[in-house]
Amino acid sequence: MISPINSISGKNITFRSTQGEENNVEFDKDTLLENNFSTRSRIALDKFTKAFTIYPAKGLKGSKNSNFYEFLTMGTVPYFIGSAMLMSIFNSVNSSFLPNNWKSAAKLGNKMALGVLFYAVFKELSKSLVTYPVKWKTGIDTEIPYAKVNYLLQEDPEDYNSVTSIEYHKVGESVDFPRWDQLYGDTSKGEALNWRYDKIAKKNGLGENLNDSDQEVKPLYKEVLVKSKLAKSISSFLWAATGVALAFQKPWENYFNVATLKFWKVKDFAHSLKVFGESFVDSAVDLYKGEGSKLVKHSGKMLIGAAALSTVLGVLNTFHITKKPSKVTGEDVIDNKKESVVG
Amino acid sequence: MRTSNLIQSYISTHPASQQYQSDKAVREFDVHKELSNRTFIKPLPSNGKLIRTGVLDYPSQFRKDMIYNWNAFKHAAKGEANDHELGKLNDVGMKIGGLAIAAYLFTRKQTPMTKLFEFIGLGTFFAAMDLWPKLFIQLPAKLVHGVNVRQEYEDSFGRKKMFYQDHQFIPWDLYSEAEINKVGDRLGVPKDIPNRREFIQEKMRKIALQNNTLWMLTAGFATPLMSALMCNALESPVAKFLDQRATKQAENLLTNFQDEIAKVDFTESTKQLDSLLAEYAGKPITTDFVEALHANLTDGLDHMVAEGLSLDFDKMLPVENGKFNLSNEHIEGIQTSIRGLLEDSELSEAEIKSLIPTAEELSESLSSKGLLGGSYDDFSLHTKAIQDLLDSKISALAATDASGELGEYLDFLATKLVHAPGHGLDSPLMASFKVTPSVVLDDNLAKMLKSVSTELNSFKAKSYVLDKYAFMKAAQAPETSLANGWNEVQSILFKALKFTPEEVRKARLDGELASSVLRDKLETITADKATYEQFVDEIGKALNKLHERIQSLDMTQEAKHNTYKEKVEGVYDSIGATLKRFGLQHTAEQLVGYDGVSGLSSKSLALDFITDRVTGVKSSFYRFLNLADMFYKISHPESIHGILKDCPREVKEELVELAKVTMLEGHNSDFAVKFWQKRNPNPDMTDYSDLEVKLGKVINKYFGTHDSSEVVELANDRNYYKKVMRLLFGDNIHPDTMARISSSEHSFRTDFLEYRQRALNVFGNDKYFVRPNFLVDGHPVDASSWSKFLLMGSSPNEMFNKWANQSFNSGKWFNLFGKLGAGLIGVTLLAQFFFGRMKTPQPSQEVKA
Repeated sequence: MISPINSISGKNITFRSTQGEENNVEFDKDTLLENNFSTRSRIALDKFTKAFTIYPAKGLKGSKNSNFYEFLTMGTVPYFIGSAMLMSIFNSVNSSFLPNNWKSAAKLGNKMALGVLFYAVFKELSKSLVTYPVKWKTGIDTEIPYAKVNYLLQEDPEDYNSVTSIEYHKVGESVDFPRWDQLYGDTSKGEALNWRYDKIAKKNGLGENLNDSDQEVKPLYKEVLVKSKLAKSISSFLWAATGVALAFQKPWENYFNVATLKFWKVKDFAHSLKVFGESFVDSAVDLYKGEGSKLVKHSGKMLIGAAALSTVLGVLNTFHITKKPSKVTGEDVIDNKKESVVG
Repeated sequence: MRTSNLIQSYISTHPASQQYQSDKAVREFDVHKELSNRTFIKPLPSNGKLIRTGVLDYPSQFRKDMIYNWNAFKHAAKGEANDHELGKLNDVGMKIGGLAIAAYLFTRKQTPMTKLFEFIGLGTFFAAMDLWPKLFIQLPAKLVHGVNVRQEYEDSFGRKKMFYQDHQFIPWDLYSEAEINKVGDRLGVPKDIPNRREFIQEKMRKIALQNNTLWMLTAGFATPLMSALMCNALESPVAKFLDQRATKQAENLLTNFQDEIAKVDFTESTKQLDSLLAEYAGKPITTDFVEALHANLTDGLDHMVAEGLSLDFDKMLPVENGKFNLSNEHIEGIQTSIRGLLEDSELSEAEIKSLIPTAEELSESLSSKGLLGGSYDDFSLHTKAIQDLLDSKISALAATDASGELGEYLDFLATKLVHAPGHGLDSPLMASFKVTPSVVLDDNLAKMLKSVSTELNSFKAKSYVLDKYAFMKAAQAPETSLANGWNEVQSILFKALKFTPEEVRKARLDGELASSVLRDKLETITADKATYEQFVDEIGKALNKLHERIQSLDMTQEAKHNTYKEKVEGVYDSIGATLKRFGLQHTAEQLVGYDGVSGLSSKSLALDFITDRVTGVKSSFYRFLNLADMFYKISHPESIHGILKDCPREVKEELVELAKVTMLEGHNSDFAVKFWQKRNPNPDMTDYSDLEVKLGKVINKYFGTHDSSEVVELANDRNYYKKVMRLLFGDNIHPDTMARISSSEHSFRTDFLEYRQRALNVFGNDKYFVRPNFLVDGHPVDASSWSKFLLMGSSPNEMFNKWANQSFNSGKWFNLFGKLGAGLIGVTLLAQFFFGRMKTPQPSQEVKA
């Protein structure tokens, strides 16, 4: 007879982790989370830590439980190491140079390092320029997270400890399969089943007290997800480019002269922060104004303009919802006053 | 007996599980029948396929991907895209962002090379992202395990995906049994184990997962590193390509001279001039007008030419602010002005007539005081004269009125005549004087100025193209033809000297250390004939290349043999003659010189600029070759016997030392003061033995053995000076050196020998008032410090110091990151041998009943 490669038959296993048990986890079922700074930070830290520890360890062992989520989460590793490496390439040997060479190499190296940092910061922050207006206008939070409880396959016949793992996803992560179920209210807590859908329906003018607001809202929700993702994909990279361009402005050299991360030297650190602020403003002005002639002078403006335009167009396109249900009612279709022959 | 498959057995025996014939179903679809058929609910047959493309398919794949991305964008814009499409669009966004960065930084960079490398940097970064997993993960895994860990497949909807992307969903059905078994054989999986396919698949999955993880862990290090190393490797070919391109572009400037001139646009400037001339047409010429006109005409011309035009304008356009001509022609106007005032009064016509001075009276009154027939800017005396005249007339008329009222009334009227109606305005009388400004912009002058502008614009366009050519060829800027030539020769030169990393590290610190390292190296090389000859061959090749490169920049050639020179002379001479015709003598002289002597004119500047730059570069390398030759001669002292023979041994040692140091480190000032060296005033006059040289180094018997208090500067030893100069530049170069550079290929040889002769003449006969008799051939030569500077070139030790510094910096970087890259590759490759390890199940054994 056919024998499975790994057998768990005969073992009394429960595929549910409950608190207090050995496999102690925070969630025992897929749970919608509040989208606030605290949750986002916690999720980011959790994913970052695991990306550097558990997931590579599982991957290198060839674990059968490694999945696409873990692979994608591990994408942070090259991003992070690559950034550090890029900074290092332009800075790490400068100290061996003679003072003059070191000085000029450090100028470029520091700007490059700042550029790498600004790339990441601008890219992430600029997504809010799409997320928040969309949330404000449509009531749809495209970034709302949930914790997914993942049931694991047994790694070896003797291992009964790791039966679940927690993954952090977003409800709208997949536009093909959004987790609609996570948006339903918990009736056991007295919540209306469709309360989230009701709110979105109302916000978008579909009306109130709808019988099935979820069905009305889903196509619209999906459209907003797709369009906002497009807006973020294009605009965030253009803002990242703007960040790099900003980092390459001359006023930053003032900051590099006084830059320190030694926060315990309060005076120096405060001065460093002050100069950072000043350099930021001056650099932004320089980037906008530019120098030289014609195209060269206006290149900064064009870059900022392209980034801003991509955000505005992306957001406006998201606001333009085409999949609202028709407002035509039954009465509009069949005029009771008119005679009609059926059959 | 074989074990039976329970599922198969269930399906074949259960009545409700009878397989339904699908072709029948299409024809006679019966929903009840369908629902009763339990095997009906199964996945649709897959239309997916593994993608097996090679390098040759990249263009078509690229095209396909672009179309897919474009459609994805359209879908996403309408809100209809799927996850896969959105994922692709994210990649597109990343590339657009990358391009935006490169494009912005492109605009910030100055030279073609640095500009181009913004895009090359971006390209190599994306290439490294793609190549690292392909070359160091996929390929080794394929070679070691026979598994393609980056296999792609196209799903039923035509979407391209990684086969092992999601380990919880691997479409194994796309691999045929034969393919899986082939991989299994390669993996060494026994053929007779149970569930062989599943085992192989699990092994493939494991290998792929481990490799994907390895990819994630290494990509962060590898991508920037690979990109930087690729950029490093591309630097030289790209520089070569750009050099060739720039050379061609520069030559095209002269070949298509007329077309290039036509590209220079003066529309704006012409428009400005036209509007200026229109604004001032018929009006007096003011300082503002002249300044605006000067700025317009001299825009694009150098300062000296602008000065020349200023001088010409002073003569041609005299500015007399506020001056007006006053002659008999204006008398009537004065009368009219007085009449205008009186006509409004209650006076009779007869009374008015009696009050207005006659033309003769006015003329007489003004001319008697010298106030008529000239240009004036102050009319107070004129006013006074007219008032006096009018007062006498008023007095005469007032005498006829006994009441005296008329007199008062007339006085009141007369006051109105000289009273300004408002602040800053002229009184009616004053206004009657200011009718004809002394100088005005008339039609003829405007036409002439317009013609001058047209001629100057034509000249500016031509000189702009010529300047551009000169810049591209010889400017003191990176990536000009001459700069590229310098880099090329310098690189060959120091590479031929084969410095060790330690020597480079030391030499970069300062010029003195560089000098010591270079001296040791040259002494070693020149000690051995074969090594020296090999070195000279290398320099010879490099100098030949340089000589060919600067052939078109030789301004000593006749104009008919040099296009640039021909054009410069033609263009400048032509504008000079034209401007002289317009009476702009000073401007013409600044452009082409005075009376056939070009002197410091713009024309000579256009030619000398190139000559000077070329001289500086050539001198530096000729000096280096001369240095090597001199070291060789000292290493083989029989060749300098003629210079040293009548010197005591100690003087020989001093002389050779001075020559070596001077040639290695000397600057203009060292030659200008005829050298400075502390010597022993009382050398051993009994020892005339020859120099002792061992492995290129002079073994000093006396030099350096004295205390510093015993040595002094011997100010009057002019023979010693002459001998040093002979050793430096005087006597013939060594026959061995000559033999290596004498072939017809060595086009630079004559030039080099001339350089030595010129250096001997200029430096050796330079007049120094402290030592007027220190002259090589007794005839002082008066050369400018600039020409001596150019002839001196860069001192070899400083040239080496700079090169060593650059070489150390790039070597340091390469050393660190090259090692890091090699280590990373090593670890990545080695890891393959630890992947895919699984316990192989025992082969199945037939169970006998």
